[in-house]
Amino acid sequence: MNLAKLRITSATTRRKLEGSLFIAPWAIGFLVFVAFPLAYSLYMSFQQVRITATGINTTPVGLLYYREILFADGGLLYDDLVPFLREAVLMIPIILIFSLLTAILLNVRFGGRMIFRVIFFLPVIFASGQIIQEFIAQGEGQLIILQGSQLERILSDYVPRSWGEPLRSILGSFVLVLWSSGVQILIFLAGRQTIPASVYEAARIDGADPWSTFWKITLPGLSPFLLLNLIYTVVDLFTFPSNPIISKVTTENYGVSSALAWIYFMIVLLFLGLALLLYRRASRSMGIGAIR
Amino acid sequence: MRLRLWRRASRLHAMDGFQKVLLLLMIVLSVFMLLPIVYIFNHAFKPYHELFVYPPTFFVKEPVLQNWNELVAVTARSTVPMVRYLFNSVFISGLAVLLVTAASALCAYPLAKHRFPGYKLVFAAIILTLMFAPEVVQIPRYLVVSQLGIMNTYFGHLLPLMAMPIGVFLLKQFMDQIPNALLEAARIDGANEFTVFLRIVIPVCKPAVATIAILAFQSSWGNTESSALFMMDEEMKSFAFYLSTLTNNLANNVAMQGAAAVAALILFVPNLIVFVILQGKVIATMAHSGIK
Repeated sequence: MNLAKLRITSATTRRKLEGSLFIAPWAIGFLVFVAFPLAYSLYMSFQQVRITATGINTTPVGLLYYREILFADGGLLYDDLVPFLREAVLMIPIILIFSLLTAILLNVRFGGRMIFRVIFFLPVIFASGQIIQEFIAQGEGQLIILQGSQLERILSDYVPRSWGEPLRSILGSFVLVLWSSGVQILIFLAGRQTIPASVYEAARIDGADPWSTFWKITLPGLSPFLLLNLIYTVVDLFTFPSNPIISKVTTENYGVSSALAWIYFMIVLLFLGLALLLYRRASRSMGIGAIR
Repeated sequence: MRLRLWRRASRLHAMDGFQKVLLLLMIVLSVFMLLPIVYIFNHAFKPYHELFVYPPTFFVKEPVLQNWNELVAVTARSTVPMVRYLFNSVFISGLAVLLVTAASALCAYPLAKHRFPGYKLVFAAIILTLMFAPEVVQIPRYLVVSQLGIMNTYFGHLLPLMAMPIGVFLLKQFMDQIPNALLEAARIDGANEFTVFLRIVIPVCKPAVATIAILAFQSSWGNTESSALFMMDEEMKSFAFYLSTLTNNLANNVAMQGAAAVAALILFVPNLIVFVILQGKVIATMAHSGIK
């Protein structure tokens, strides 16, 4: 009897041990290189930090830096934050809708589909890199590089000026949307393939048109992936290295930088919370998620 | 040859109107997707007077090899042979891809499929840290690395990369979609947790795993931070760091732009190669990943 009991406990502890072993390598790295440094930077945001040859000297300053950033000096935070937030509010839904539609199109059977899938996934390798940053640096959120191209000339020649200007700015941002939706397209494509073909067949037999098939089957089926993409896009946009606020986080005045980073983090968190709330609202009113 | 052409033409005829429009749309979109790559390849061959044209052009008009000669001349002057930097980078990136992917997947599996006590807390922590820009934690990371005594070692390059929250996040969301019945069936057949993980979870999530591998390669290959902060000896620094110092240290901004353009291309090509190798896994396996 004792033996049986021992075996049961050892089985459960074994399971627990196994689970911990699975998580351990990542968790240790996480604690040492992410969690601890973050906590440390929070601590530093209440300190004046001076880096000297012998080490790091700190003097507590309380909430001074937070007050400075939030209330005194608009130049550090608000001047860049407000236009950036406005852009993000526009960009996120466009990226999501564009990548959703592209993924659905890429799922349709047509010649060279595989090649197009590869091409649309391609931005993953340069989106985070220097190339895009260089492009963006040349124009504010738009692509100056298009000005020299043939397309620009066609636009200015054949389209009236009052229409050409907005068209051009949309085009410039549109290319940015294209380039930042590689992973999202992939996620939607993978998600689309989790919906079995038999469901579509059943809908067709029941006489459903493509329009209602999209709303009643495809969209609800993709809703977990929609959520995933929403979070991914927000994070991707807000932690982009060329982001105006992140570029102000330097190692020079570390106390102020830490405070700025934490304030920014709170704003991002708030933004994500709002986005999730909106998503939940919208999905409930449309009945998404009813299937799962 | 003629037969093949004829067959292709007939295939084009066989498409209906919708598919033709779709094909055209996809071609237009993929031209935009390919622009950055065209740009980076052309940029490396531009003579000086073309490098500084504003607005910049995509295509080189008079291709020259002068930039390459410039880079070769500069690297010949360096104290450490370039091969050493290259070896460091290849070694670090190769290991980083393996370790990061393995650690992320191992951590994501219990999070998705074993609701152990406190898993919500762990997952919340991961999502929160997604929102932090790496710049914030530079100084504390430096302290951690120096305290651990891994300055000037390959561990100093590798370990800070290990905790990639986006990896765990993406994989966990994908693993959520695996039906429990699939895992149950394997367990009944006598598979232990590790076998289930290796034989079922990983193959089913291959698109996500390959995406993480691509992202991990990019972040380690282009990483200049760990070389700048944690490595004292010139022999331990990475190729990306070396190439960036070639152009950054000069007072004159114009002088080395040609070499910089070539360096950007050299840094980009491995990304492209890894992408080409791994994308097959991402895209081909999505079709029959066995979910449902």
